[in-house]
Amino acid sequence: MTQVPKVIGFICDWSVDLKPLSDGGRLRELPNVRVVQVPCSGFVRPDWLEEALNRGADGVFVTGCPYGDCLNREGNFLMRDRIDQLQRRLQRRKVDTARIGMLAFGLHDGAAFLAEVKAFVDRIAVLPPAQPARTAGRPAVAQPAGTPEGERT
Amino acid sequence: MSTVVERQTPGRYARLMTTLLRETLRLDVWVNRLYPTDFNPLYYTGGLSNLFLFTLVLSGIFLFFYYDASLGEAFASVQYITDRVPYGGIVRGVHRYAADGFIVAILLHLLRNWFTDRHLFARDNPWISGMFLLLFGGFIGFTGYQLVWDERALTRLFIGGLGISDGTLVRILFLHIGPATALYAFLWWHYVRLRHPKIWPPGVWVLFCVGLVFLLAGVVPMTRETIPAAAPAAHPTSFPMDVFFLIPFWLLNFLPAGVVVLLLVALFVGGLAIPYASRRETPVEMGVRHSGVAQVIDGNCTGCELCYYDCPYNAIVMVPSPGHRSLLAVVIESRCVECGICIGACPFEALELPKFLERDVLRQVAEALRPGSGQAVRA
Ligand code: SF4
Ligand code: SF4
Repeated sequence: MTQVPKVIGFICDWSVDLKPLSDGGRLRELPNVRVVQVPCSGFVRPDWLEEALNRGADGVFVTGCPYGDCLNREGNFLMRDRIDQLQRRLQRRKVDTARIGMLAFGLHDGAAFLAEVKAFVDRIAVLPPAQPARTAGRPAVAQPAGTPEGERT
Repeated sequence: MSTVVERQTPGRYARLMTTLLRETLRLDVWVNRLYPTDFNPLYYTGGLSNLFLFTLVLSGIFLFFYYDASLGEAFASVQYITDRVPYGGIVRGVHRYAADGFIVAILLHLLRNWFTDRHLFARDNPWISGMFLLLFGGFIGFTGYQLVWDERALTRLFIGGLGISDGTLVRILFLHIGPATALYAFLWWHYVRLRHPKIWPPGVWVLFCVGLVFLLAGVVPMTRETIPAAAPAAHPTSFPMDVFFLIPFWLLNFLPAGVVVLLLVALFVGGLAIPYASRRETPVEMGVRHSGVAQVIDGNCTGCELCYYDCPYNAIVMVPSPGHRSLLAVVIESRCVECGICIGACPFEALELPKFLERDVLRQVAEALRPGSGQAVRA
């Protein structure tokens, strides 16, 4: 896929400092990445990630604080587990797990965060196109043919 | 509450706290270069304190078997432990160094949670119980030094040198062990609003800390020649000073006793006031998102208990539901820190943060995916 993938990132207020990195809800260096700030990474409901993918996002990720240092003690661990579950669930429906990511970066980790997001976007960019965007609603079980099973688990 | 004054005061204190927060997290970045984040010891200061406390209890029980709480025998029995009892000297050293580790760990724990704003608003209970743990910890260390009954058992301040009888040491021994038991009551209070508290540090840190304490006990053993036994009339002039527990005594060199006591009281009361005094502004004024206490939408709640298991602050209780369903989630407002973790946990859309609704999130998602938005245009 030569297209620039559309990516949505849910970023915890307490993790990486977005002020120097973003403009109008988008990462300055990667304008295809839309950031949504949330009070804690654990706030993100896996349904929303699924919904974003169904509506045509090429990738979604959640960023929390470094593991062990969640302001709310457990948010990032819980989110990591929920993302694992979501990946397994979507994999059964032939969605590549590379499209869903969990990152963990602290306030001062801006550079590392950007690098990781870039890598995430690059991984998605080489994937064959996902299923066409569908209107909102619960996804059907059937998937368009040709979407390969994700090779990573 | 005149808002004008309130608006101005955030100034210095708030700026200081913001700086401290940033520097604390900058320190983390450095430590994280050395250790993977799962093993960053600064993330486990609470667990480390608990580990040292546990070490203290175990070694304390050992020492308790041999210690003789009477004026004539106390010093001799300590010597006996050090010289005669197999590994007695080591255990004594372990007890001594673990106490230092305990104080260091709880001070780090205190500063870290203070500087990272983890004591504010609904999270004041762990802070208050923590202050009591610190107070009791310091007091226990202090009575521990009396028990050895060497010259550092400063009869001067503690009991004024008068009225020392055979019962004195028994009382001090009680004051050493009784409060140590109370520590566990305070720990219960410390943990009661936390689900899955990090009670122990990672295994490697357990091994490292216990190993370090044993190593210190072996390499720098408790010497017996340096400090003579206490004599009731002696007026100790100089002796090895423990930086952590005997600071008040050191201060006595400069200040009258009353002032030192007042100072300690002021420190403690000031510490208790920190979460309230430093609640310098509302979350809005702190620049922190204020999403409101989580609300359960009763009609959607199925009683699945997922939010109950995930809320890190035990702020959700399950109550019998009035309807046909078995249980209903209820948020205890005074405990909720508005983190929203329960929102992520609920698969039935039965929880919302009043000022950051699901539809706000989904609107942002939809905006991001509108064709033509940003630079990513689908062909
Ligand atoms: S997770 Fe949702 S449905 Fe389940 S008990 Fe909590 S509020 Fe009710
Ligand atoms: S927002 Fe939810 S998870 Fe967070 S403290 Fe409040 S009730 Fe608990």
